[in-house]
Amino acid sequence: MSDAVNYQDLARKYGFAPKLESASRLTQLVARQDADVDEIAKVINKDPSLKTRLLRAANPDAENEAEYSVETVEDALIRNGVGCAMVLAMGTPLAMALIKAFQTMLSLNLESIDRHQAMPIDGEHMLGTIGFNGKVVGSVYLRMSIEDARNVAATILGLSAGEMQDTSEIRDVIGELLNIMTGNFKSNLCDAGLECKLEPPDVKVTSDLETPVARGSGLERMAFKAGKIQLFVDVTANPWMDD
Amino acid sequence: MAIKILSVDDSRTIRLIVGKAFRPYDVQLCEAANGEEGLAVAAREKPELIILDVTMPVMDGVTMLTKLKEDADLKGIPVIMLTAESGRENVLQIAKLGVRDYLVKPFKEDQLIEKAGRCVNLQKKPAA
Repeated sequence: MSDAVNYQDLARKYGFAPKLESASRLTQLVARQDADVDEIAKVINKDPSLKTRLLRAANPDAENEAEYSVETVEDALIRNGVGCAMVLAMGTPLAMALIKAFQTMLSLNLESIDRHQAMPIDGEHMLGTIGFNGKVVGSVYLRMSIEDARNVAATILGLSAGEMQDTSEIRDVIGELLNIMTGNFKSNLCDAGLECKLEPPDVKVTSDLETPVARGSGLERMAFKAGKIQLFVDVTANPWMDD
Repeated sequence: MAIKILSVDDSRTIRLIVGKAFRPYDVQLCEAANGEEGLAVAAREKPELIILDVTMPVMDGVTMLTKLKEDADLKGIPVIMLTAESGRENVLQIAKLGVRDYLVKPFKEDQLIEKAGRCVNLQKKPAA
């Protein structure tokens, strides 16, 4: 019996959630480095959400779809590069892991929202960063207001926000939330052949709103809302690094 | 007599959540923040179940599991992995070493209780 068959058996036995096929397929194609645009476009065209996000990224100045100058997935891939498509694809399992973490640990339905419609973070806020290194190099950034971070941490630990005054405890919870979402995402990368390791999370209070993007890396920016809580997630990645 | 369960995780948050999950049960929870501490606590306390994270500083969960299975006194203790990592290589390696179950974070407390209940006889604490 092959390892792949054994893994499927184990995944069933342990009750793992199924992996997102388009993200896995796309990551595998990009990891190969020799996949052509048509092959990649075929996978993206089957995933309406990914297609929408890729076209939006390829038309950064357009207010709406009617203003798009880049209208096909193929043209978007040529304009933005295959690496950009992979970063967008990687955003999907990351978003799903965050949404699942909120449902499971906070009983809150987190929904993905248009970043431009979110109330921007102003001034000091909580920033969690986790890097991954290997055949793909990048970072995941999670930002939220300090009040939201306190509420999230308190709910996860079953406490009231008033009982959650210790900043180090809040940082530990936000770091674990980041670990959980990025751990799932890292597993997807490794399974696609992009082996990498996670760095320990770093969580701090900062006023700096800049997300550093290394040369050659793609950037995917996402926003989420659950009631009054707002979260901002950025992922930067360069998928063609040697280890 | 309370059932001894050892939770090995570098995250205090996870150890608190595990503690909260077992609070209604007659369980004595021991804790360790990495594999090295986990082995020491396991040797000292002889728990009936170990709940083990994978990625930890000092000694990771896979190394701890390997050493646990090499120790004649400890190898029979059932282990449930509790980790955010469900990558193929990790899962295959861990399954080969021998674990009773595997729970991927994020998890619901009742999922942990259900899996733990398949390894040890959990009894609710009598109402105060």
